[in-house]
Amino acid sequence: MQTAWGWLPAIYLFLGGMGAGALLVAAAFEFYGKRYQYEFCPTALVGATVPGPLVILGTILLIFDLGAGLREPWRIFYMFTHFSSVMTWGVWLLTLFIPVSLIYGFLEILDAFPAARQWLRTRRWLRWTAFLWNLPLRRTKRVFAGIGSVLAVGVAIYTGILLSAVGPAIPFWSTRVLPFIPIPMMPVLFLVSALSTGLVLTVDLAATLAIGPMEQRVKSLPWIHMAFIGVKTLLLGMLLITALVNGGSAAQSAREIIAGTHAVVFWVLIVLPGFIFPFVVHAYAAGLGRHSLVFGVGSGVGIVVAGLFLRYLILVSGIPAAL
Amino acid sequence: MEIPRLSRRRFLGLTAAAGVAAVLGVPLLKKGASLAQERPKARYALIIDTTKCTGCGACIEACRLRNHLPEGVSYIHRIVKGNHRNPWFLMIQCQHCANPPCATVCPTNATYRREDGVVLLDERLCVGCKYCMQACPYQARVYDEERGVADKCWLCLPWVLGGGLPACVEACIPGARLFGRADDPQSEVAQLIASGRAKPLHPEFGTDPSILFYVIEEE
Repeated sequence: MQTAWGWLPAIYLFLGGMGAGALLVAAAFEFYGKRYQYEFCPTALVGATVPGPLVILGTILLIFDLGAGLREPWRIFYMFTHFSSVMTWGVWLLTLFIPVSLIYGFLEILDAFPAARQWLRTRRWLRWTAFLWNLPLRRTKRVFAGIGSVLAVGVAIYTGILLSAVGPAIPFWSTRVLPFIPIPMMPVLFLVSALSTGLVLTVDLAATLAIGPMEQRVKSLPWIHMAFIGVKTLLLGMLLITALVNGGSAAQSAREIIAGTHAVVFWVLIVLPGFIFPFVVHAYAAGLGRHSLVFGVGSGVGIVVAGLFLRYLILVSGIPAAL
Repeated sequence: MEIPRLSRRRFLGLTAAAGVAAVLGVPLLKKGASLAQERPKARYALIIDTTKCTGCGACIEACRLRNHLPEGVSYIHRIVKGNHRNPWFLMIQCQHCANPPCATVCPTNATYRREDGVVLLDERLCVGCKYCMQACPYQARVYDEERGVADKCWLCLPWVLGGGLPACVEACIPGARLFGRADDPQSEVAQLIASGRAKPLHPEFGTDPSILFYVIEEE
């Protein structure tokens, strides 16, 4: 079991993924939403405004995980310089994603709340922001949503590449999608998990709490969730089976997850709240067309909790190759 | 008419910024690629004869003392192999790979490979992200809590350059460690490597350890 990275990187991987996923959902509304054009939309509002703060929080956690970089913070600037390192890509992605998502969120607030625009306009000391209300707001917002979603896919994927790039050192992290397909599993799994937690945060939690159960408004929502759960089950199953087939410490990692040290985390904190419970809730919703607010929010919380523990599980179950 | 012109200017500005970034970025990428390709041969070799090693740990302590490491911390660690009746020992330290994964993943380029094959840490650059500790398949990196850097064996380079020996070689009681010039075909280490008796550990990792070699009796 590797001990170098613990909870702080795990929470960062989760927050970065969920932020990226939420921004992608907001961008999808931005580009494809019909009703969103003339109606207040809590999903797009949360999806645009929350990723910036979430990723900032995650980045702060990462900085606290540093050793000498925390004591002498100027050393962090060296991290922009070595492009063979996936961590350098990540530092660049975060540096670009944070301002873009903050600006996107700010423009979304201006668009959603005319009062905010009015407030800005009436403050003398904010007069320098005048260029903002001369801009075509919707179009500028679309530009930032577009750039932001490209960066969001980068943020969600790179966290997986970061782990799979260690190669033979920790075989479980570099497990392939299937033994004969040379694509690492972690980026794929992290991207799907990012999308699903982002969707839950913006739709199941934010929109449900703001305007009531979403299953009654978006008829396909339970099906989307069930599809996500299905894809995640497939990917997790492929990961564990490929790791078992590969043998060595990858198989040992898989055994620790299924029926070993980390089995409780896996079954009780990931499979139950993130797979079984939401699947039952959404299957019920798909069959009857509705379910209670409590179950909707509960299954959302479950998926988010499972997303967090999934990152933690993947980190702690990385066992170095035997020498 | 105002708005389109503004946005076009903005677009041109963005394009210019992207162009500047690309022009600045490409040489950096090229530099990284060329560094990975050029692999000058290692000048030194350190051979550990596991058939002689008793696992006493004198090398571990000598390393700790010479490098002023705190109690219980050393650049060398011991792995017990075999069974309890017939154990043998793998003393693991930095293998000074020709293709060091720790240097590839280091975001600040604090870990680098010298021309003579020695892999060093520039601890003024290290931020302590511990990525190298994850990427080293030999688990040879040692995190120094005091300085917050991922430290490593430096082959006692100042002593070696001055004609001396690494502390672990000096201290080895059963004489299981042999240090010498790999670039001199007459030297004992070069001949032992040429004979095929001394082999790198886990060549399947693809790291091409260029200084550390082990003599391991087939089981």
